[in-house]
Amino acid sequence: MAGTISHFHKPPERKQISVGEPRAVRWLLIAIALLFLGLVLVVPLVAVFTEALRKGWVAYGQALIEPDALSAIRLTLIAASIAVPLNLIFGLSASWAITKFQFRGKNLLLTLIDLPFAVSPVISGLIYVLMFGMQGWLGPWLQEHDIKIVFAVPGIVLATLFVTFPFVARELIPLMQAQGSDEEESAIVLGASGWQTFRKVTLPNIKWGLLYGIILCNARAMGEFGAVSVVSGHIRGLTNTMPLHVEILYNEYNFVAAFAVASLLALLALLTLVLKNIVEWQTNRNLHSEPLIEPPENRP
Amino acid sequence: MSIEAKNISKTFGSFTALNDVSIQFPSGKLVALLGPSGSGKTTLLRIIAGLEVADKGSVYFEGEHATERSAKDRRVGFVFQHYALFRHMSVFENVAFGLNVKPRETRPSKEEIHERVMKLLKLVQLDWLADRRPSQLSGGQRQRVALARALAVEPKVLLLDEPFGALDAKVRKELRRWLRRLHDEIHVTSIFVTHDVDEALEVADEIVVMNAGRIEQIGTPDRVYEHPANSFVYHFLGNVNLFHTRIHDGQAHFANQTFDVQADSGAALVHARPHDIELSREETGGGWMRACIRYVHAIGPLVRIELIQADNQQIIEAELSRERYAEQRFATGEMVSVRPRQVKVFPAGPAAGDYSI
Amino acid sequence: MSSSQKSNVLPGFGLSLGFTIFYLSLVVLIPLSAVFIKTATLSWAEFWETVTTPRVIQSYKLSFGASALSALINGLFGFIVSWVLVRYRFPGKKIIDAIVDLPFALPTAVAGIALTAVYSKNGWIGSLIEPLGIKVAFTRLGVLLALTFIGLPFVVRTIQPVLEDLEIEFEEAAASLGASRWQTIRKIIFPAVFPALLTGVAMSFARALGEYGSVVFISGNMPMKTEITPLLIITKLEQYDTAGATAIAVVMLVSSFSLLLLINLLQAWRARR
Repeated sequence: MAGTISHFHKPPERKQISVGEPRAVRWLLIAIALLFLGLVLVVPLVAVFTEALRKGWVAYGQALIEPDALSAIRLTLIAASIAVPLNLIFGLSASWAITKFQFRGKNLLLTLIDLPFAVSPVISGLIYVLMFGMQGWLGPWLQEHDIKIVFAVPGIVLATLFVTFPFVARELIPLMQAQGSDEEESAIVLGASGWQTFRKVTLPNIKWGLLYGIILCNARAMGEFGAVSVVSGHIRGLTNTMPLHVEILYNEYNFVAAFAVASLLALLALLTLVLKNIVEWQTNRNLHSEPLIEPPENRP
Repeated sequence: MSIEAKNISKTFGSFTALNDVSIQFPSGKLVALLGPSGSGKTTLLRIIAGLEVADKGSVYFEGEHATERSAKDRRVGFVFQHYALFRHMSVFENVAFGLNVKPRETRPSKEEIHERVMKLLKLVQLDWLADRRPSQLSGGQRQRVALARALAVEPKVLLLDEPFGALDAKVRKELRRWLRRLHDEIHVTSIFVTHDVDEALEVADEIVVMNAGRIEQIGTPDRVYEHPANSFVYHFLGNVNLFHTRIHDGQAHFANQTFDVQADSGAALVHARPHDIELSREETGGGWMRACIRYVHAIGPLVRIELIQADNQQIIEAELSRERYAEQRFATGEMVSVRPRQVKVFPAGPAAGDYSI
Repeated sequence: MSSSQKSNVLPGFGLSLGFTIFYLSLVVLIPLSAVFIKTATLSWAEFWETVTTPRVIQSYKLSFGASALSALINGLFGFIVSWVLVRYRFPGKKIIDAIVDLPFALPTAVAGIALTAVYSKNGWIGSLIEPLGIKVAFTRLGVLLALTFIGLPFVVRTIQPVLEDLEIEFEEAAASLGASRWQTIRKIIFPAVFPALLTGVAMSFARALGEYGSVVFISGNMPMKTEITPLLIITKLEQYDTAGATAIAVVMLVSSFSLLLLINLLQAWRARR
């Protein structure tokens, strides 16, 4: 459910509407909408940056190059760089199976892919504690072999993997469903192999949706808090990701540093939104580029 | 290349798309698969192409068993109803695709590919659009690119799924004549699916009429039109007036004539085309029926007259040429005599005469 | 048969479906089943006692109550926002449209500290409304605010496409038949949008129910007062009460899965209409 309701299908802007509300009602509604969005979304976003810069750029910079902050950034990048590619491969494979073939239990599979969205982040972390923790299924065995998963980097990677699991698949499935299989079938009939078809026909057609899925997946991977919090053990400089580092700094009343690290995450979020809009624009351009009038038939 | 399909059956869930269909397509002909939607014609085409696997039955290419051959290896050219052009490639790249994906050993050189693609684009009169994207072309142009792309791999068979279905009426007419001329030039065995009777009658060498997963009739356009095998084919090919009669000892009597019918007894339906209905002020008896003119529609080359039969209130539709109408000047409300010039009589099956198309 | 009929000529079915199911089982299904298997080590009586202590009950009340309320608030304002975005033109509309997705993209911890900073006693908005007697940060109102933040895009992004696809002709027809604007909205537009609205509200509720990151900072986490259920799970875990944490997690999971089912049913219903 989270973050995947993209609406690639925007009709062109409506022209003058003959039926409509009186001008005053219109502006009242716009004002209500803007006030609500302002209070709930915009003001807090702006606050992240002003709080981060409260003591100037020097303090801001120092908060970011401090060793613990750097190690948190490094761990966040590691977790994302493992989780995103794996879920990317899964997303491609799941959407290929689901959109190109008919089989029983497809709806069940779709629901199961959605499961991680329905699970509270806290529980997403808990399940790995139950599997790999000291009292978990594999706990004793892991301890015997001196392997640490929970309260260590592997646990963080696993939790990230879980919470970002559906993103790419959920982005690709509707897109590939809308595109159908005609182009792939033509490629096969023209003699292309399965791999050639995928690489030369499918991939170019889904590249923008794929990119958007990766962006969303990455944003969530870098920003996940609840699940990672449960499995991390909060060891400074070792098992802290950026969001966890923000929490520690905040709880130590080191607000400037907390918001400085938070501002990086906020920038990532803004970048995500910008990319999302570029992707949407590209997709719409591809979808709605049918010429309305027949181009001239005669040669130039 | 000749194609044969033997005892093909295919179901989708509870829907039977093809029910034990057997058919032979002779080499070098342009054949139309004609039928209403859901008659199984597209499914048959896709099974021949290897895009669909039949539940039962086999496909032979040139007498060789090809059922197990994959779509990739069948060397068929397939033109999709909605073209299925690769939207991220230029027109040139689309046509070149089939050549570019060949294994290195058999792939022509770059220059050869260029030459062949441009030759094909000239053939479909689109060489001046080689660098455009499919989205920048009109529907008719896209269809021609799709055709050039299918021809690029030098297929032994060309299969076209509703090739003109998505085009508007005018472009459609132009393009189907163009397809006919193209076929006369290249002589590749071609099968196209259509639900448009005029299209099939005008373009095809041979027509296969399908209905509800079965083949109803196979024959030249002339044969199919003049001698429909059954009530369905008669209905599908044009407007129909129906008259009821009964069969006795394999014969039905209607309008002072006797017809042989493929049944011993029971009800029979007499079919007559509106343009075969004769109208007269003078004649009576001898196979003429009395009817009242209810409506005269005199626009266009044909004049349509709607009548009500005096004895049983059935509606009869007649079509007259303008000249004929000008001589007679039939008026609404007038009582006239009516007689079908030419009829076909079929036994009234459970659903005969009830084809909604 | 139309071209929508899926074919079996494309390769890779076994491989892609096989990998999909393997990966799904490994990453999602097996770990999730751990919760239910772990709970099975508790007797029914123990389980029931764990999930019904007063502190836990209080947390349910807050979690479910605040989530439901936030979903309703989002239903109302989300409708207005999408209406304004679809129907009116005003400067900055594109940016406003983009910013609606912010809660999807912004890490919850960042949202949490930002909301706290703005709505606490010294914050920009907190300092304005606290003299009026309205306390947001470290109260239940704060929980509600955080959950509203989290759930907003679900409602807007579900309604917006439906509003966009709504043919203006229906409204023009209604107007030409003599309906007032308010009647048109009530009898034509609202019924068309309602299923989407319901779906959006349910999604927003489901998301709020499990939310943790944005809430922990603004709620103050006082037991019996501002403690949400996910936080209670973490508290139990930190006290090494894994069984207790798991028992509560089961209650949450069952609620979430029921909601997921409900949302799927709602969407199936929408698709049929």
